[in-house]
Amino acid sequence: MSAFLYGIGLQWKLDFRSKGILLTYYIIPLIFFLFMGGIFTSIDPNAYKTLIQSMTVFGVTMGAIIGTPTSLVEFYNSDIRKAYRVGGVPLWTGAVNNFISGLIHLSIMSIILFFIAQIVFDASVPSNLFRYFVTLELFIITSLSVGVILGLFVKSTSKLTMVSQLVFLPSVMLSGIMFPIDMLPNFMQMIGKVFPATWGYLNLSANQWEMMSMFPFMLTILIALLLCTWRLGRLHTTE
Amino acid sequence: MTTIINIDSLTKQYGDKMVLNGISFAIQRGEIFALIGTNGAGKTTTIECMEGLRKYNGTIETHGKIGVQLQTASLPPNIKVIEAIKLITKWHSTTIDMALVQRLNVDLILNKKYKELSTGQKRRLHLVMAMIGDPDILFLDEPTAGLDVEGRVALHAEIKELKKRGKTVVMSSHDMAEVEELCDRLAILKNGDIGFIGTVYELTKKNQDKYRVHIKLANPLEMVDLVSCSYIGEQQGYQIFETNKLEDGLYELTTLLREQNNSMQDLKIEHTSLEQSFMHIAKGVKV
Repeated sequence: MSAFLYGIGLQWKLDFRSKGILLTYYIIPLIFFLFMGGIFTSIDPNAYKTLIQSMTVFGVTMGAIIGTPTSLVEFYNSDIRKAYRVGGVPLWTGAVNNFISGLIHLSIMSIILFFIAQIVFDASVPSNLFRYFVTLELFIITSLSVGVILGLFVKSTSKLTMVSQLVFLPSVMLSGIMFPIDMLPNFMQMIGKVFPATWGYLNLSANQWEMMSMFPFMLTILIALLLCTWRLGRLHTTE
Repeated sequence: MTTIINIDSLTKQYGDKMVLNGISFAIQRGEIFALIGTNGAGKTTTIECMEGLRKYNGTIETHGKIGVQLQTASLPPNIKVIEAIKLITKWHSTTIDMALVQRLNVDLILNKKYKELSTGQKRRLHLVMAMIGDPDILFLDEPTAGLDVEGRVALHAEIKELKKRGKTVVMSSHDMAEVEELCDRLAILKNGDIGFIGTVYELTKKNQDKYRVHIKLANPLEMVDLVSCSYIGEQQGYQIFETNKLEDGLYELTTLLREQNNSMQDLKIEHTSLEQSFMHIAKGVKV
């Protein structure tokens, strides 16, 4: 247990030392939020009502889909994996440590955004804060699950750049955070429902929990768990 | 002596290419054993099969805890040396052996990040990591590649110390002087087979009655058929001959020089070395 906890703490420190992680977990989401927050609130007087939710969905999606997989691809597709393995460090710790560290980082980013939005843009605070933050954590876990799948299955950082964008761009464009989802054609609305960002925005903006809209989170987490367990088993077997 | 590693009919294939053709050998507890061979002979594959990093056909039995220093290994670029050592130490449920860290001169780089280390410093760190948990068998894949003289000396001293403590070391190397200095036995891999297995003495003994005569001449030599020695080639301005009858060979050579009005500027005589014996077996060439 001590080794596992040390690994999580170490991953947390390593993330802070990585410019790429800092950019995708904190700097770009927060700069984007300040920039887009200004635009949204000036073109739509009602934007302040959902500003926290929309910008949080953007930031979490960016960190989980672009940030998390990069360090996993670097870990599992290099000699680091061999060095850890011969050193007696279980391979699953790479994925789990990154996941937990990412969860903490993205939660912190979301909290920073939550407070700045109120101060700078006079954004509305969700009516039920307990429900909001529980939903937020579930959304972060779901998004990180997708990020971990990408990190374990894509074999190079160059391929990952493309694959991540294939998930990130539609997540942002079709989730309703940039413009209302009902302005989109039906088939695009359907495509949007594949991505956690759509359900994240829907659930974070809702006033109460609805089992049907929480179900995609659970399903995604379950699928990710199964896929990642299978993949880690494959990575552990000898070449 | 008891067998600590037993390999029987080890076969390994990458795609269509057969890398190991059913090799068998045993390594005894407490010995320093070297696997040598030319590039692509199968040394790293054999070692990685023993370490459990590769699938294989055949049987490998290891009796004891193993420590591994890989030929190519890496760590996250921003991890500090002390953090890497602590991580491995914690997974082995042990404490950091600072004496070991000092012996391998890793104490001076504890707060450096992995990306800031030189090749030699990285190898020393991976060696410390391999030795965490006090393994019975230590696999070292080209341990001195990239090490400076100081690092090499420290490593050799550490390997000798391990032997004194009854540990088994299995290493691959291209450095014949290192093999000669450290190893009790060696195996030469040649195209996936074992070309030779035994002690350094047994290997060189095969050619021990042979001498290499290096002659630096005033004028080019006009070559004729020789009876008691054979011409090997030229190296750094010296003509090299091999003979197993030194007196007869020298007499024949000096006679030849006199006949050709040539003269000797320098002369060196040496026994056939381990390197030459190795090349003879591994490549089938005289060096």
